[in-house]
Amino acid sequence: MRWGMVIDLKRCIGCYGCQLACKAEHGTPPGVYYARVLKSEEGQYPTVRNLFLPVLCNHCEDPPCVEACPTGASFKWEEDGIVDIDHDLCVGCRSCMMACPYTNRYFNDQVPHYHPQGATPYEAARAAPHPSNVVMKCNFCRDRVRAGKPPACVANCPTVARIFGDLDDPTSEVSRLIKERGGFTLHPEVGTGPSVYYLPA
Amino acid sequence: MTEISAKYEQLIEDLRRDYRPQREWGEGRGVFLVIGHFLVGVAAGAWLFGIIFNYVPGLVAGFLLAGGGGIAHLAFLGRPERFWRMVRHVRTAWISRGFVGLTLFLVGGVLYLPPLVLTGWPWAADSMLGYLGWGMAAFGMVVLIVYMGFVYTASKGIPFWNSPLHPVLYMAYALRGGIAALLVTMALFNAPSVDATSLVTIWIAVTGVVIVLFALEIQGALTGGNPAARRSVREMLAGRMAVYFYGGTLLIGLVVPLALLSGHIAPLSVGILAAIGLFSALGDFFMKYTTIRAGIYLPLRPRQGRHVE
Repeated sequence: MRWGMVIDLKRCIGCYGCQLACKAEHGTPPGVYYARVLKSEEGQYPTVRNLFLPVLCNHCEDPPCVEACPTGASFKWEEDGIVDIDHDLCVGCRSCMMACPYTNRYFNDQVPHYHPQGATPYEAARAAPHPSNVVMKCNFCRDRVRAGKPPACVANCPTVARIFGDLDDPTSEVSRLIKERGGFTLHPEVGTGPSVYYLPA
Repeated sequence: MTEISAKYEQLIEDLRRDYRPQREWGEGRGVFLVIGHFLVGVAAGAWLFGIIFNYVPGLVAGFLLAGGGGIAHLAFLGRPERFWRMVRHVRTAWISRGFVGLTLFLVGGVLYLPPLVLTGWPWAADSMLGYLGWGMAAFGMVVLIVYMGFVYTASKGIPFWNSPLHPVLYMAYALRGGIAALLVTMALFNAPSVDATSLVTIWIAVTGVVIVLFALEIQGALTGGNPAARRSVREMLAGRMAVYFYGGTLLIGLVVPLALLSGHIAPLSVGILAAIGLFSALGDFFMKYTTIRAGIYLPLRPRQGRHVE
């Protein structure tokens, strides 16, 4: 089994629902984004259009971050292909951040709260599981997935632009969509075999 | 604005850019990584030339610099108390290999050096322990000279570093740094027992190799078709790193040593040779600093539009 995600760029409206759902699910500290939406525009007035590109860890088949990690803190789960971090092993060298071609890793080196006066009780409770001075990233909401639920960004996308499934199963929706709609990955030239595919807008 | 909030604002600004600069290695506490890489490279080079010229102060300098480099690396780590875990991934991670190399080098130095410089030491340099130390330090030295460039080449997220020339360039830096360390050491010990002419000749040759390799790397980045690599070169030659490059690398690291070497400023002496070594080493530090700080991440967007959020 290899979990993967398909993001339909035709359906994405750039609402940041995925980014907020991820923040709410994981309580990530300021400056740490497991899911992001990149917005840009192309063309000249009056033919201008918005481009949205939701990005997250690509959970590569051949992850360069795992190869570069000196402690084994970055690793890939054999049973489902999810690339994860064991924060108890991370030494904070950030070599994985340099190795990742998708720049979706963040170093949590600050006191995790948003307000200058300190963390609110809610923030403190949510931030408690996140150790500082280590690298953090998306793990496809592995706890949710193991409980039979989709990742938070998938569950909360109002336009159903994100589809989650098994890339190894040729009959799964993700495999079908990739095949039928010409799914593509970011930076295929790097040769890492990403598990996040995009459907053209 | 506090340091933390300033860093947060900087990150948000960076995330809005198509060409996001890497800041983890080289900025803030990240400068310790540059210092660590610099010191360790010079240490390995000093040890190599110390062995070649049979110059014990050079070996001592190499050992001390390596110790300083190790401390600088620890100062950089987010969780330095876990440093020993870096031994775990020698099979794939160049940082692990470097850690093992540095450990072997330092342990080997502890076994080999004391009998050379201290009297009444329990074992001799030509004993089994001494030979073991020599072997460990020599192996560690080779690893230290080789591994650093590969750490950068393995960084697939930074196309400018992801060049096959990088390891060779870093090897050349280690050699140039080693000669510089010996030139400075000769003045400190006031005992020019090494043939200075040979050292200077090697310095000129290695400097020539560094210039050629660096020019090839820049040319490769400019013509390789990767926009992030081109942006890195622009940052270095005409952007936020230009001051360090022209002032530090070219002026301090190349022009001043060559001017001193020409003998027009002052006749060559042990002191002038030490100054050449010092400026050369400073130039190498700035070279590494600018190269690291000029690193730009691979842009994420397949098509480049105007960024609005």
